[in-house]
Amino acid sequence: MVQKESRTNLRLFNRERFPLVSFFVFFILCSVMMGADYRYQISKKIKSTIPILITPINNLLNFPVNLFHESKNNFINKELLIEKIDNLETTNYILSIQVQENQLLKSENNILREILKIRKEFEIRGETAEIILPEVRNGYSIITINKGFKHNIKNGSAVINNAGLVGQIVNTSKSYSEIKPITSESYAVPAVIDNGKENVILYGNGNGELEIPLFPAGSEIKINDTFITSGVDNLYPKGIRIGIVSEIKPTKSPKFNYILVEPFSQPTSFSQITVLKIKK
Amino acid sequence: MSTPTKAQVLREEKLFILLFIISIFLSHIGIIGIEDSTIMPNYFIALIVSFILMSKANLNLYKILTIGLIVDVVVGQLIGQYGLIFMAIYLLDLITIKMIVIKNEKQIEGLSIFLILSSFIILWITSKNYDMFIPLKTLLLQAIFTFIAYLFFKVIINKYISK
Repeated sequence: MVQKESRTNLRLFNRERFPLVSFFVFFILCSVMMGADYRYQISKKIKSTIPILITPINNLLNFPVNLFHESKNNFINKELLIEKIDNLETTNYILSIQVQENQLLKSENNILREILKIRKEFEIRGETAEIILPEVRNGYSIITINKGFKHNIKNGSAVINNAGLVGQIVNTSKSYSEIKPITSESYAVPAVIDNGKENVILYGNGNGELEIPLFPAGSEIKINDTFITSGVDNLYPKGIRIGIVSEIKPTKSPKFNYILVEPFSQPTSFSQITVLKIKK
Repeated sequence: MSTPTKAQVLREEKLFILLFIISIFLSHIGIIGIEDSTIMPNYFIALIVSFILMSKANLNLYKILTIGLIVDVVVGQLIGQYGLIFMAIYLLDLITIKMIVIKNEKQIEGLSIFLILSSFIILWITSKNYDMFIPLKTLLLQAIFTFIAYLFFKVIINKYISK
C-alpha cells in the first residue's frame, strides 16, 4: 500500500533557528500582561472604551431576533391588539389596587420606624433593561443586557428581576453591559433567612447554585427556608429574594453543615431585568 | 514538499482571516441541543492547531503571539492568556517534529490531540490562577468538541487550498 504523503518536509535534521529565546521573552511578556490585566482590569477597560470590539458582534448576533420581532409586529392584527389592551387594562387595574395597599403599608412602616428610631431604608431607583445575546463567550457563561453607561449603568450595581436577585454589573460599554450571575464562582452576597434570625454570606458555586460551606450545626435551618438580602453591605437593598435551601449536608466537622441554595431567578434571554441605582 | 509561492501564502492567509472572523462569531453561540452553553469547542485553538499542523499561512512565533493577543482582546478574559497558549502550541509542535518523524495521518491526528489537550491544560491552569475557573469536566468536553472543530477546519483548508 502506498503511504500517504506527509504534511510537510521532514525536519529531523533541519538547522532552522529554534525560537527558544523569543519564546521565553514572550512567555515572560504574556505572564506580565496577565498579571497586570488581572490587577488593573486592562482588558475590561479596552472593551468598554473601544465599542467596535463588541458592538458589531452583539448587533449581528441579535439581528435575527430583532428582525423577527419587527416583522411579527407588522403582521399583528386589530383583534389581537384589542385583546392585548384588554388584558393589560385588567392587569393595570389589579396592580393599582395593590399599589394602594402597598402605599398604606409603607406609610405605616415609616411611622413605626420613626417611633422605633430605625435608620431609613435606601431609596431604590432602577433602570429596566433586556437580556440579549450572547449568553456565552468562548466557553464562559455571560449575561449581556442592552443598556450601558450611556443609560447611566454603573459597574457594581445590583441587578434584579421579578423572581429575585440576578447578579451584579461587572462590565459596561456604551450600549451594553455584562452581569456576573449570583451563581458564578467568586460571587458573594450577604443574606438572611426571611425570619430574620440567621445572617450569612452566600457564595456562588459555579454550577447554577449558591452555597454556605460552613453553617453552624446548632443554628436553626431547614429545607425550603428562604434567603433574602440582608442589606448590611449597603450595595444590595434589604429584602430582595435570593433562593431557597435545597440541601443540608453534614461536613467533616460535626460543628458545621454544608447548605445548598437554589436561586429564585433563572434569567433567560430576552427577559426583563432591573439594574438598581441605590441612593443613600 | 516544495516551498509555497507568494500567491499560495496569500491565499492561505486570506482563508485564515476568514476562518478567524467566523470563529469570533461562533465563539459567541452555544451548540443547539446542549443545555449547558459553556460546553462548546474552542474554535481559536482548533484553528491555530489546524493551521500549524498543516503548515499553512506561514505562521511564525510573532504572528502567533499577535493573533493570541487579538483573541484576548476580542473574546478573552485576560490579556496574554491566548498569546501564551498559541505560543505553547507552536513550540510543542516544533519540538515534536524535531524529535519524532511525523509521516502519516494517524500520527498527525495524535499530535493534534496532544496539542489540543496541552493547550486546554494551560487554559485550565491559567484560569485557576486568575480566578475565572472552568470545571475540569467541562474543559475535557470542550477539548473533545475542539478536536471535532479541528477536523472541520482541516477539511475546509484542504478543500479551499486544493481548489
